[in-house]
This record gives sequence, structure tokens and C-alpha cells, in this order.
Amino acid sequence: MCAFFIEEREFAPFVDRMAGSTRVVGPVAKKNKFVFADIESATDLRLDYDVTILPPKKVFFPPKQQIVRFDANSVEDCIEPIPTVLLGVHFYDIKGLDMTDVLLRERFEDWNYLAQREATTLVGSSVQTCAPRAFWGSVGRDIPPKGHDAFLTYMEGGYVFETRTPKGEALLEYGTFREATEQELAIAAELNSVVLDTCSKLLPYEATDIATTVRESFGNEELWDDLAMDCFSCGSCNIVCPTCYCFDVRDSWNIDQESGQRTRYWDACLTREFAAVTMAGGQKENFRAHHASRFRHRFMRKAAYLNEKLGGPACTGCGRCAAACTANIADPVRVLNHIMGVEQ
Amino acid sequence: MTPESTGAPAEAHNNIFLPREAKIIRTSRPTPSEKHFTLQLADHTPLEFVPGQILEVGVMGYGESPIGLASSPTRTDSFDIVVRTVGRVTTAINSKEVGDSLWIRGPLGHGFDLDELRGHDLLIVAGGIGLCPTRSLIQYVEDRPEEFGHFTLFYGARDPLQLLFTEDRVQWRGSDRVDYHETVDRADATWTGNVGVIPTLFHKTTNITPDTRVVICGPPIMFKYVLNECDKLGIPRENIFVDLERRMKCGVGKCGHCQINDKYCCIDGPVFTFAKIWELEEAI
Repeated sequence: MCAFFIEEREFAPFVDRMAGSTRVVGPVAKKNKFVFADIESATDLRLDYDVTILPPKKVFFPPKQQIVRFDANSVEDCIEPIPTVLLGVHFYDIKGLDMTDVLLRERFEDWNYLAQREATTLVGSSVQTCAPRAFWGSVGRDIPPKGHDAFLTYMEGGYVFETRTPKGEALLEYGTFREATEQELAIAAELNSVVLDTCSKLLPYEATDIATTVRESFGNEELWDDLAMDCFSCGSCNIVCPTCYCFDVRDSWNIDQESGQRTRYWDACLTREFAAVTMAGGQKENFRAHHASRFRHRFMRKAAYLNEKLGGPACTGCGRCAAACTANIADPVRVLNHIMGVEQ
Repeated sequence: MTPESTGAPAEAHNNIFLPREAKIIRTSRPTPSEKHFTLQLADHTPLEFVPGQILEVGVMGYGESPIGLASSPTRTDSFDIVVRTVGRVTTAINSKEVGDSLWIRGPLGHGFDLDELRGHDLLIVAGGIGLCPTRSLIQYVEDRPEEFGHFTLFYGARDPLQLLFTEDRVQWRGSDRVDYHETVDRADATWTGNVGVIPTLFHKTTNITPDTRVVICGPPIMFKYVLNECDKLGIPRENIFVDLERRMKCGVGKCGHCQINDKYCCIDGPVFTFAKIWELEEAI
């Protein structure tokens, strides 16, 4: 597709016009952190954010989502996507969505997610500030972000706006754009390349070597017991992860006690009961009863199990799990570097 | 890749969570905690499935539970499930009576590889409620004996009161199509049959050979001991099929609860060859 340029003074009117005619979601400040939220005005938008508390996955796969509705005699689906522009997604979060796109589409297509994905125009934006726990500079570096419709790169004087799809191109109507010059494009490419070396955290191993070594460490119980020793089984690492998509399903009634809904809620494989089955007599058979086996399962999912399907690790290097972990033990940089050091 | 079907009518943007209505046409109470349902889809279409596949069975307002199909697809006018009351959802299901509806999704999952079983002697080892999903295969073999070699069936329960499918068992005992052996872990005053755990039944027959195909379904504790007996008889792991149970919420390989290493019990199983799960550290 094509590359355009929008002057900095034209950017706010562009966002305001867009927000005036469709739902726009983008990064906004929340106390001293950032979140993706509905944008009413361009002044709310903070494209200089480092990382958001939750990844933009929540736009398509909200923490709580109705999957069917029922009344006394019938059941109907409730896939009701809202046309949305999701603005200002960093490249690592686009890659996270690329992964959930594959995982929620494979074998059984989950249109509760995919319909909102199709109804959304996704606009990426360059990283202006590197989050302290991020390590995206050294994970999946050879895998480009795919599932976006346009990409904004901030530079002195304005933004290069590269359109990738007709959906992205359709946003041009909201703003005053001109064609980008070759020089502006070169600067944008340089900025997006240089930023990869700004992470202070480093995972200095090939993903394929990590996958093999981590997989082989499965039986090393001492190693995993040690790594997971302080785990509270709280599931915070799951909840903030862009590539986690486990869920629980619960029914509830409306006040008439006849109609109601079946709702899925984010779930977390680190929590104690996640793999527990109730057997005869109310006894529980827990297939991952020990916290170390749950901690290990998550790392296997992120570093090894899904690599073939996804073409790389199921980790974007966003560092959210590292920052969210109650016991400060979930950092993949700590865990994987340790395993590589011990096992290799 | 073509998406797999949840059994619901094909529509654009099919919702994988949308269940179909099934009417209860017969029920019985084989034990105080189990209820046997015979069901028919409300739209009267036949349910096409492979023995070993599962259904997500639900009551709206309560939830869904994964239940193995307990009848053979060779008997197409209706289908059976047996539900054990263990929690909120299964209590709600078991409160339903003839004429009520259950809401089902499926058939789901990978059932028994019939092509791998056909033409060979077959041993089915069922413990406790493990008889229910294997009953689908048992009926199939009964209906098409010409497709299989010698058929042996082992069934065990904790005590005589827990034994399921009384009519079936009477028929199996008298049948020349199946070499049937049953046992209970603990006898009561009325019991005159075998007492002991299921692996002890291997001494009751000489029909099991290294070429026999073995199907195992039962509580997790049972697997190791039965597999040990199979090992002693020299049965290769590729010829042993295990029907596993896990916590499942979605049944379509998304929700994550039933993961066994990198496999999903709900879509890669519930039936696996022992050779496959031998590689999976978390399987048994």
C-alpha cells in the first residue's frame, strides 16, 4: 500500500474527526500507568506510552464476554461486533494479536473473537518509550508484525502513516495527509529499527534453542521447584499476557429467573484449581496440583509448545508478566536465561 | 485449514458455543448417583459420531459438562449418555426427566480409531463410570461382529451397587460374541462373583495375545496397573488406546483446562494411543 505524512498540528484534528464518527480505542494515561480505552478526544491519546497494563487483546476478547443468551425455550448467539479503530498499538502487541488470531482460528473458528477482529481497523504506532521490563528487542526479532491496517511512526514534525490494507487507507478521509517523502520513510524505518536495541533486558539465545532446552528441562523437578518457589498461584502473569487466552465459562440468570446468559471469563492456568476434575464422592483429581507444575506449564506454552504453530515463541517480549508478578519471579528473562545457563 | 464442525448447522460465522436442543426420551437410574438418558435431537436429525467422542451436555443457567457418548452410532434413532452427579451442572442435568430438554454441543473430540481396531482381537477394560464411553464401542462391536476378531470385555466397579447397565451385563454374560468378565473391589453379602481390582481379570482368560488391540477407560489410578498387565503380555504401546478424562470447559481446544502438555484432551483426544501419551509427561 502507500505511505503518507501528517503534520503534528494536524494529528489532533485527525483523531478528533475519527472519534466523532466511529469508536476509537487507544492508549490513555491511568494514574502513572497506561491502558487502552475509548478515546473521546485527541488530548486523551498518549502515543508516548511505554506499555499498557493489559494488552489490546481485551478489545476482541474482553475479560468478560457473553457467548450465548437463553430464555426458557431457546438459545441464541450474541456475536455483535462494534466497528472500531484501535489506534496506537506497538509492534509487539500486534504480534500478540497475530498469535491469538492463529490460535482462536485454528480447527474451530471462534467468531466471538474473530468478528470483532474483522470489524476493527488496527493502527500500529512506533515505540517512543521503552518499558523497563520489556525485552522485545531479543524475542521473535525476525518475525514481523502482520495483522494491522496501518502504522504510525512518530518523528520530528509529525507522523509517517503507512497504510497496509484498504481499511487502513479508508482512515485517510479523516485527516490532512500528503504523500511521505523517501527521506521521511527512511527515517521511519531507521527509528523502528533502532528502537529494538533500547531494551535493557536481553534474552541472548535463539528461540529454537530456548524451545529445545526448555522442553528438555521438563523432567528437572528441582529446577522448576526452585524457579517457582515463591509463586502465589495468583495468575497475574496470565491475566496481563497478550498470548494467554484461557477462559472459564459460567451461566447466570436475569432477574426473571428464566432468561440469562452464558459468559466466558478470563482464566489463569497458574491458579490452583485450573486442571482439577471433580470425581465420584466430590474428590478432586488435580492434574497439575503443584504450583511448580503450573508455573512450568505456562513456560512450556510460552517458549516451546506453540512454536511450531506460531512460527516462533508464544511470547512478545512485552514484559507485562515480569512487572505484574506478585513475587517478582515470572520474568521470562530471568527464567529462560537461568534455564539456558543451567541446562545447556 | 478447514475448521472442524461442532455438529451445529453450518452457517456463516458459526458460533462454536451455540448448543442444540436434545429431548429426553427415556431415563433410568442405574445407581443412586448415575442417570442414564436416551436423547433425540429436537429437530429429529440423527447425531453422527464415532464411538469415543464426547458431547458438551448442558442445562441453560447452570453450564455444561463433557460427557462421553454411551451408545453406538450404529443405533441411529437416538443416543445415550450416562451422567454422574458430582457438582452443580451434573446435578442440574440429572434433575431432568422425560420430555425435558438438554442442550448439547458435539460430537466433539477424537474417538476410537475404528480402522486400527478392525480385523483384530479386541480387549476393552472399563473401570467404574469408564464403562459409559466404552459402551459406545461395545455396542458397535456387538452390532458388527464380523469386523472384529475375538472380543473380550473386563469391567470392574468399587462395589456391586456401583455396577452399571444391568441389562447389558446379563446379555454379555450369556453372549457368545463377547468373553465378559467382571469384578468388584469390595463384595457385599449378595455378591458371588470375582472380588479384586481389574488387573486380576487378566488371569481369567487366555484370549489376550500380543496382537490384541486394547482399549482402557477408567479412573486415573487404574491405568498404570492395567498398562503393567499389557506390558507383561507383550502388547505394543501403539495397540493400546486410552480414553482420558480432564476438566473441559469449551470442548473445542480453546479454554485451556484440558491441556496435557501441548495436547488438548478435548480435540486431540479423549482417545489417545498409549504410544502417544507415553511421550506426554502429564498424561497419566
